[in-house]
Amino acid sequence: MIDAPGLRWKGNGQSVLSGPLLDLAERLDRRFLSLAARWDAADHRFPTFIAATVLERIDWFRSFPQLATFPASLDPDEANLAVFTDGEPVDGEGRVHPSGLAPIRDVLTPAACYHLYDHHEGQTFDRPRYFTTHNTCFRREDHYVPLERQWSFSMREIVCMGTATETRSFLDEATTEVDRLVAGIGLPVRWEQASDPFFQPSKNPQYLMQQVDPTKYELLFDDRLAIASTNVHHDHFGRAFAIGRDGEPVRTACIAFGIERWVAAFIHHYGPEGPWPAP
Amino acid sequence: MTEDEIRDALRAWIAERNPDLPPGEPADDTPLIERRYLTSLQVADLLLYMEQLARAPIDPTRMKPGVFRSIDAIHSAFFS
Repeated sequence: MIDAPGLRWKGNGQSVLSGPLLDLAERLDRRFLSLAARWDAADHRFPTFIAATVLERIDWFRSFPQLATFPASLDPDEANLAVFTDGEPVDGEGRVHPSGLAPIRDVLTPAACYHLYDHHEGQTFDRPRYFTTHNTCFRREDHYVPLERQWSFSMREIVCMGTATETRSFLDEATTEVDRLVAGIGLPVRWEQASDPFFQPSKNPQYLMQQVDPTKYELLFDDRLAIASTNVHHDHFGRAFAIGRDGEPVRTACIAFGIERWVAAFIHHYGPEGPWPAP
Repeated sequence: MTEDEIRDALRAWIAERNPDLPPGEPADDTPLIERRYLTSLQVADLLLYMEQLARAPIDPTRMKPGVFRSIDAIHSAFFS
């Protein structure tokens, strides 16, 4: 398990960064933001919640139910709140006893880019458009590892919305730029075809499709830790959110960076206290 | 079935699900997935249809990248 000054592991799948490690994480995000500037990608800051109806439109719940984390609140009825306060709100094992819950209508963001497709719903573009966004993302996992597999983590994404040719060119260029970046840093990495973690994959046609039409490639550090990924979505989001281009659903593609995983790679490769090369 | 009959059957299956296709499409080298003539929801159905054409189960180990790229690729991967 990683141990480094400025890292505190919370044991619930989340970590605290401070000092030089926090500075490294922020410099990494700024570096990815400067990469996004190559395409004049407009930066967006979205909230942490995303409406469940947005994810339902892309069939996210059936594909990834195991990853979902929901923001829950108590039913505001006074009698229900009294039941909560008169009972044992939190027991000795840290479990909350919430009496009645209000209806859950949101999800804690599972991937930063989903907000962008919802944000541009119904729009029509006449040229390729590029966007970037950073968010804290949440994925429930069966185990957690500091910086490498967390319940909540930071993700920077750069998204292209355009034609099939434009999205392909974007990913080719982004891949080349990231190769240049990691070569400059000196990290041992390689790209590998990957699959999304579909629930019951043998029953999911999207998993089968991903086998015959590779749409996801991960940048593996040390042959094991995915620190970035490129993703081709074809017209999946364009169709779901009625975003158009040339009379057809827009094609989209993205490159995503897991900030804490990059920090982990720096620690593993250069040591917990640096000096680390400039990202 | 002859090779031409299999190709005709595959083209007809794609055309039936894409009524707006231009005349002559899909050609044998038309990129089916890239042009969205074949989507993830249709691949499993196409597999079942191919098993009918082949009169045999499809070997799952043949589900490799590119095998559904075009009519040419499907024929080469599953029927040749």
